[in-house]
Amino acid sequence: MELPRLGAFSSSRLSFARSLIRKMARQRWQVTQTRFDLNADGYGEVIYRIQTPQARYHVVIFSRYLDDAQRSDRVIAEAWDLTFGLVEGDVEDDLMMSLSENVPLQEAGRQHPNLLVISRANRSVRNFSSFVEQLSQGRQPAESLLKTAGYLYRTTAVYGNGKFGIADFARLKDNPDFRQPFSAQMTAVYVLRQFSIDQVEHIARNKSPDAVPLSDDLKRYVGIGNSTGLGMAPFLINHPLLINQWVHMRETALSLAKQEAADEEAQQRLLDLMRRAIQSLQECDIENDDQRLKNEDVVSELSMAAVWLDQVSAEADLWLQLTDWAEAAFTLETQELINTLLIEIYPDHTDGLEDYMAAEESLDLVPDMPLIQLKQLIETYLDWALQVDLTSSDERYWFWYRSIEKEEPRLGIRGVDEGEEKELSIAIGPRVQRIHATLDAHLRQDPAALTIDFLMANQRDSDIVRRIQTMAGSAYGEIRANLWHREMKPMHLLRAKLSFLGAQRFDPKGDRWVRVTFFQGAPLIAELNAEPADLVDFDDWSFALAPQRPRR
Amino acid sequence: MKVSFNELQSLSWKAFIGLGFSDGQASDAADMLCWMESFGLDGVKTLKDALEQYSLEHPYSPPDILYKDTDVTVLDAHNASVLACSHLPLELAFTQARARGFSVLKIRHCRQRQLVMGYLARLANRGMNVTAFWRNSQTPLTEQVVGFRASSSVPSIRIYAVSELPDENKDNTGITVVMVNHVDLLPTMRSEYEYDLLARHDESDLLEVRSKTEREGIAVDASLWEQLQGLAKLTLVASTSSSRLGAGPAD
Repeated sequence: MELPRLGAFSSSRLSFARSLIRKMARQRWQVTQTRFDLNADGYGEVIYRIQTPQARYHVVIFSRYLDDAQRSDRVIAEAWDLTFGLVEGDVEDDLMMSLSENVPLQEAGRQHPNLLVISRANRSVRNFSSFVEQLSQGRQPAESLLKTAGYLYRTTAVYGNGKFGIADFARLKDNPDFRQPFSAQMTAVYVLRQFSIDQVEHIARNKSPDAVPLSDDLKRYVGIGNSTGLGMAPFLINHPLLINQWVHMRETALSLAKQEAADEEAQQRLLDLMRRAIQSLQECDIENDDQRLKNEDVVSELSMAAVWLDQVSAEADLWLQLTDWAEAAFTLETQELINTLLIEIYPDHTDGLEDYMAAEESLDLVPDMPLIQLKQLIETYLDWALQVDLTSSDERYWFWYRSIEKEEPRLGIRGVDEGEEKELSIAIGPRVQRIHATLDAHLRQDPAALTIDFLMANQRDSDIVRRIQTMAGSAYGEIRANLWHREMKPMHLLRAKLSFLGAQRFDPKGDRWVRVTFFQGAPLIAELNAEPADLVDFDDWSFALAPQRPRR
Repeated sequence: MKVSFNELQSLSWKAFIGLGFSDGQASDAADMLCWMESFGLDGVKTLKDALEQYSLEHPYSPPDILYKDTDVTVLDAHNASVLACSHLPLELAFTQARARGFSVLKIRHCRQRQLVMGYLARLANRGMNVTAFWRNSQTPLTEQVVGFRASSSVPSIRIYAVSELPDENKDNTGITVVMVNHVDLLPTMRSEYEYDLLARHDESDLLEVRSKTEREGIAVDASLWEQLQGLAKLTLVASTSSSRLGAGPAD
């Protein structure tokens, strides 16, 4: 898939945040606060218990004072407003001691194998202090604060899969609660959202006897922010089979939706969702100029589509008419948003696909493949890589490397910045082009050669060969872009992954950082614990809208 | 200290890159190591020996082919670790077995031979019956046989001491691998000569160990971990105020 299209994806009902909330409700998960040891300023330890039909887990949160000068979203930060972890099983005293010594250290700690996730978060200083101030004075905070930044805390990294000693994802493969990718991470973040609400209410109560709790509609409008940088980009290159699976499931859902004959009920549902998406985008106060303009285009184009949809009759091929029009006339972001909405209106097609979002990630060599067949695969499926002119300085502009500072991935300018000799093999296109030239020369000497004959003579190329052999059969795993190119936008990589996680309101900071929000508009834990009778209504929380009714 | 598989895989991969392995060699070597450790077969301990074989001053050179026909290949690895020298020769033997039904690979002069199991598991998983044999010239002389059934990545292992010493007992640091398309090659002890079975690991025992290590993590010597971190650092680039901009503007 092309990079700009991946960079236009919106989160959908297949995104992990959405499927998690559905599952929690369907299976009647219960989340309860079991410890709340915070001082008047909100510093201390809090534990939430998660009871599923299968097992019990705990989210353990450490809230510590942080000097404003230390507050940084970058991975190289060493202190945060809070740190937290999702623990499998109970939290006995000795485990709690180990957690309190290590979780606040994050990467510098040696984490316990009962932890499934560790993470950290910083406050939105403006929102946090305003919320505390207003609530303590007996007033509800202005919802406009959450239109600018839809959260009280933003996470800066959410680690799973064995990082720093926590449990490997392999351990979860038979765990029905968390075998879906990133579901453990999403659970921890969802519970953190409740903590952020509980904490501001607690601090406000301690400030003044006149304090009031946050209104339910504002609670719902509180999400959890996330600040993501280049560190996320290598994931999309290093997990091609998983990315292929995610996009494949999304495209399958879309294809099934587009094949449906439209009826008046579905037409009205899509129209309602379009109007909600338009309003939601209009309410988001995005700082980044480019993204704000893109959102304005989406609002304008989606409004046109809504007018059209309101006036046409529900013909059988209505969805194809709509998507064909979008493809011909609308921006990529509008096209993908329409696709997201079409997926939304057919839950029966989509929701079963959420069980197929994982992939066995093994790139295996086919040593007996005739070398001429390998050449044919490259020229057929990776033709985009051969078309790059690597003699052009623009095509070779960037190189990717890891800094000694917490291994942060960075971009350097080739020929200018230090570190080129330690370049990461992130850019697949140039490697494909080079191997194509080498095997072409080999074939001239030995036209009947097998892949293994070639590799015995070129031993350092085994990884790119097996990647080509494996990925040639997949439609979406390889991102069709030269990641060295001067105009390449890393933001597209970040947005693609974040959309599958369930991120909303993308607000980039340049082309290498983005702030997003999770779970804004999602049902509250109290609503989950009440065991909702209407699961369809419970799940209908995409495109959060600001509260409208007056509050006291 | 306890570490996770992902940590061991990731750090050892970076360490191998730091040692000059290619991306593919490094990921195969890291996979072999983790596979061994997942079954409690002392992969990490063996890695410690392997690291003593390498230095940046003496980079790895590929093995020489001493003999090759359509069924048999004999290589000289010049005392390299199987972590570095075995992947592609094993793929060659796999190719030959697929084409001819049977193949033999002998790698002479190689080290840390037990780590080869990690790669054999991958080949077996692709539907090949695989057996490897090697002998440790020590007192008592021991032999090790490892067999994988086709499509199973869990081996059966026998280690035994031979008390009736053969006449020829020169230093033997080679390994012999046999691959067969259609016949099960699991080791079964039937010998006219006296032997002392030192260790026997069957599939079910090994699966039990794997489940335990998945739960509890892997115990690693802290000094080895530091050594790996030191090697991994060789892949990292020094940071400056301007290089920080390479990750985007400061917040």
